[in-house]
Amino acid sequence: MAVNKQIPAHNRRGRKGLAWVLGLAVCLVVIAPAAMAAKYDVVAPGGSHDGEDVEQPIEFPHNIHVKDNDINCMYCHTYARRSKVAGIPPTSKCMGCHKMVATDKPRIKKLTEYWENKESPPWKKVTDLPDFVHFTHEVHLKTLLFDREFPVENAKEICALCHGEVENMTVAKKVKPLNMGWCVNCHIENQELGAPGDCWKCHK
Amino acid sequence: MSGKLNRRSFMKMMGWGGVGTALVGCDMPSTVTLEEGVEDVVSYLSPEEYVIPGVGVWYASTCTQCAAGCGIHGRVREGRVLKLEGNPESPVNKGKLCLMGQAGVQGHYNPDRITTPLLRSGGSLSPVSWEKAEQVLAEKLGGVKGDRFAWFTGSMSGHQLSLLSSHLDAMGSNKHFVHEVVNNTVAQSVYADMFGDATPRLRIDKAKMVLSFGADFMGASESPLLYSGDYARFRTGKTRGLLVQVEAKMSLTGGSADLWMPVKPGTEGVLALGVANLLLNKLKMSDAGIPSDVREMINTYDVTSVARITGVAGHRIQRVAALLQERSPSLVLAGATVEGHTHGYASTAAVMMLNHILGNVGKTIEPGAKLPFPQLAAKRGGTADLATFAEAAKGQQLDVVIFHGSNPVYTAPASLGLDDGLANIDFKVAIAQFPDETAMAADLVLPAASYLEDWGTQVPTFLGDSAAIQLQQPLMEKLYADTRGFGDIVLGLLKQLKAADFDKFEDYYGYLRNAFASLPASVKAGASSDDAFWNGALQAGVVMLPADLVTLKSTVIAFADPRGGDDAASGLTLIPSPRMGLWDGRHANLPWLQEAPDQISKVVWDSWAEIHPETAKENGISQGDLISVSSAHGEIRTRAVLLKSMHRDAVAVPLGQGHEAYGRYAKGIGINPLKIIDPAQDAKTGELAMYATRVSIKRVAGSEQFGLVKAGGSDTQAGRKLVVTVPAEQLQRTEGT
Amino acid sequence: MSLDNILNNWSDYRKAAEDGGFYDSEGNHPYEHRWTMSINLDLCNGCNACSTACYAENNLAFVGKERFEKGHAMNWMRIERYWDDQEKDYPEKGASFLPMMCQQCGSATCEPVCPVAATYHTPDGLNAQVYNRCIGSRYCSNNCPYRVRYFNFYSYYDDAWPEPMQQQLNPDISVRDKGVMEKCTFCVQRIRSAKEKAKMEDRAVRDGEAMPACAQSCPTSAIVFGDTLDENSAISKLWKKHQVKRNVAHQDKENPEMRGYRIFEELNVDPSVMYLERVREDV
Repeated sequence: MAVNKQIPAHNRRGRKGLAWVLGLAVCLVVIAPAAMAAKYDVVAPGGSHDGEDVEQPIEFPHNIHVKDNDINCMYCHTYARRSKVAGIPPTSKCMGCHKMVATDKPRIKKLTEYWENKESPPWKKVTDLPDFVHFTHEVHLKTLLFDREFPVENAKEICALCHGEVENMTVAKKVKPLNMGWCVNCHIENQELGAPGDCWKCHK
Repeated sequence: MSGKLNRRSFMKMMGWGGVGTALVGCDMPSTVTLEEGVEDVVSYLSPEEYVIPGVGVWYASTCTQCAAGCGIHGRVREGRVLKLEGNPESPVNKGKLCLMGQAGVQGHYNPDRITTPLLRSGGSLSPVSWEKAEQVLAEKLGGVKGDRFAWFTGSMSGHQLSLLSSHLDAMGSNKHFVHEVVNNTVAQSVYADMFGDATPRLRIDKAKMVLSFGADFMGASESPLLYSGDYARFRTGKTRGLLVQVEAKMSLTGGSADLWMPVKPGTEGVLALGVANLLLNKLKMSDAGIPSDVREMINTYDVTSVARITGVAGHRIQRVAALLQERSPSLVLAGATVEGHTHGYASTAAVMMLNHILGNVGKTIEPGAKLPFPQLAAKRGGTADLATFAEAAKGQQLDVVIFHGSNPVYTAPASLGLDDGLANIDFKVAIAQFPDETAMAADLVLPAASYLEDWGTQVPTFLGDSAAIQLQQPLMEKLYADTRGFGDIVLGLLKQLKAADFDKFEDYYGYLRNAFASLPASVKAGASSDDAFWNGALQAGVVMLPADLVTLKSTVIAFADPRGGDDAASGLTLIPSPRMGLWDGRHANLPWLQEAPDQISKVVWDSWAEIHPETAKENGISQGDLISVSSAHGEIRTRAVLLKSMHRDAVAVPLGQGHEAYGRYAKGIGINPLKIIDPAQDAKTGELAMYATRVSIKRVAGSEQFGLVKAGGSDTQAGRKLVVTVPAEQLQRTEGT
Repeated sequence: MSLDNILNNWSDYRKAAEDGGFYDSEGNHPYEHRWTMSINLDLCNGCNACSTACYAENNLAFVGKERFEKGHAMNWMRIERYWDDQEKDYPEKGASFLPMMCQQCGSATCEPVCPVAATYHTPDGLNAQVYNRCIGSRYCSNNCPYRVRYFNFYSYYDDAWPEPMQQQLNPDISVRDKGVMEKCTFCVQRIRSAKEKAKMEDRAVRDGEAMPACAQSCPTSAIVFGDTLDENSAISKLWKKHQVKRNVAHQDKENPEMRGYRIFEELNVDPSVMYLERVREDV
């Protein structure tokens, strides 16, 4: 018997605004506002990175999900707007659709097998930062997406600033340098949104 | 359901945004190249909606590092508990947490935990399966009758205790030995006799003056955080409270005294009678309620003779008496150094009589809150049970004993002959988390889950306004699959004996749920359902209950002369001093506590002997010398620390070190002063006279190994303005009301 | 501020402090927060709860007896114990306990001597230590009057966190490796998380929201922490009550009997920690 079943969903500390998160989810799926002009243009810094081709347990096709079916990045990477980390979606999230959708495909069969064995696929890390870096998805999304009233349905453009055009990838690949100079350049070029300055903003 | 495996794997992989490791350093280039596609990142399978990677969740539980029962909050991230804090809703510690509580995570993640059952075969313990362990245990328990079976534990309370009692009943035995080295058993006995309540609420915060005879209430006491909170209010009230501490070795609490006075060990009761003499005869306070023979005894202790016996200057005694009369209500406390003599009861009674004379009962001594369910109330241990147990074992009265939460092989004085006694016990079982001395002497060791992995309830004892049940819940999954919770183990034993009553509980969690559901409706008022009540209790970590309060009486019972007849004896008295940190030795395996300096001597990672510089000089001993401390029952060798915060007739050797087992951080460090204690007992309660052993000291040829290590440099401020001290009048002028 | 502080502003700041403050003519100042602490020495009983809480929160390595003896202990928050000098016979007024940690000086002596700007002043009024920049020259430590900087003479990772102890490590703060200087940060990870939470909720950080581990654990509540730029915070009120001013080398109190003081402020380092004098009643 799993222990965390017995720990009730209560005394959460260090996190508030669940209602906000749920409200947002509704907003994403149903009433995404019409595109509005963003308050500032965000200029992505130059520089690229020729990432490794990563072998994943399941060759996850980002392109089918994002491009062909127009699924919002935050639908699966739901932690991005409420945590430091975007996280790998829980397997239950995958199965939410794939109990019904495309169940005959080999990759889905493999996924279902993991699910039925009560295991998660052993995904490999692609985009990572060193352990001494404090980076928070939550605040970046707030600043770049929500506070700028950037159309939420185009969230992938914001994600692409750091993650590249994932909609054109099958298995995701690291295509931006994501090193200190690159981060700092972005903050210099987008001073209005968050000027660089304090080392302790990121170095922990 | 939610993913057991995934939570664990996730934490093994350290998650994303995970743990900083040795990656960091000056040798790292400023641009770090991280390898892609190498590290695993395992997602949750189907998490609770509130579990978010990268976000810490706080859960309420209860600390079991000592028996006080403080509430804790544990920060859990990616399935691991990272940090413990005090639970603000707990009436014991009100959001605070002491160093032992802070170090709880080091016990939980300790690399020396026992992870599988161990069975003795051919002289040594070797791993066996639970099936095998259960089979052997069932066989042994099946073959033992009635009182030849016993439990030996530390202080216990709550549903674990009630379950254990059920097991004893089912075995037809009434032998539950409860043992704690750090205890106030003698004082409890005096409280019961004089005030009608063995566990009154001592309101330090309501006193204008506290006169403490060796009561280390903020350190090694029955509830250090409860009293620390009281102390803060005592010092910051309308008028700052005055603390006078009288003891032979400065304790943590003594370090905060306005007036600290060394007293000849064992004469505290005489000093109390001297104060009583002044209060009654000179300051004309009422002697109503004092039995005539006690009244006569008081008259024999005039200031001059008390000063001679105790070594406390006469003018000091007079001043203290005058202050006590002036600062009403006051509170007079007695600590372990008063209790731990053959005349311990009499000394403690003499001290407590002052509260009667000063009219403190009902003002600063209030009735303690009693739980409406007596079967859950704490059984607090002492040392009398250790002596009784040793006798029973030596007398071949025991065949099977289960040990839990106590380490008698380490704490028993050699003079009790426990080693011989244990050899007489046919089958010894230890439910243990660590390979301590008792587990290593057992025939069967059952691996226990840590308190951060286990269910339970704890009932704090020394509360005032209302009683409470503190809940303990697993903050994370078990680190080792083969460890089991204490409740689960006992429940398993009960199922074999009384299947009809206990088979309905799948596990200890089920037992607890049932117990909470069957609490009376008055307790559950406000909750919409049993589930809601349970969830609310888990969320808060504590259930507050209306208390049964007894009406206190203020009486003085007749007691023997606390002089005890041995004060004239020459020689030094050994003080095996406990401290907040290593406590009675149970925390010696937590490196943070080994590295936390002793509050007074500042020594780390070692034992030492604290002696007054004059005493040292008389014995030809210098700072840091290796000395031998010998009693009639043995000798220990350790290094000398010379401090004026000692009485000249005392040698203090701290408890906690000298482990012969107990893992890499404890084993082989220092010495254990308990080993050379005389087997004398308090005449009235049977408690061991722990603070009465006579010893001699001498310098021995120093070994070449390096000596004591102390934190910090200078003992004095050398004229620097570091800690500035101002008189209380100044505080009254500026911040008083 | 920030790196500029080292390269350009430090001397300006120092001068401004000497001239009476860091506000410019329009009343502006460079701070976003000014985190400060107050420790009531009359309540501190030397129990070590703060120190152990610090070990648990900040991934401090325990070093063991031999290295402790060499002065390698990593106790960012340590309790010093002094005896009254005057007492001839025995310490009849008990002991003097002093919790000592980085004082987060306003004009810190550690900052200008760092050859690589690894230590600098943040807009929050903290002395930052950036582990990646640090090359281990130890100049900062030698220049610190409080001796509160700790150097990693060894790599402690394997010794201090053997499997499975490493699972206790706080992911919000790095584990420092050999050759790096470290010190108390006022639990900057907790401050950071309070600030981010406030930012997510479009509000200011509330008083008490950012709380270092030591202050949270203190059994007698001797430690108070907060933002002195927030005039309504408990800590601001304490500084005001005790008439202790920042940016000065000598206090000129209206009522010199108020208990607040700063250790070594005469060195013009402008420490951010105010101690309240220990009180003893003459009996």
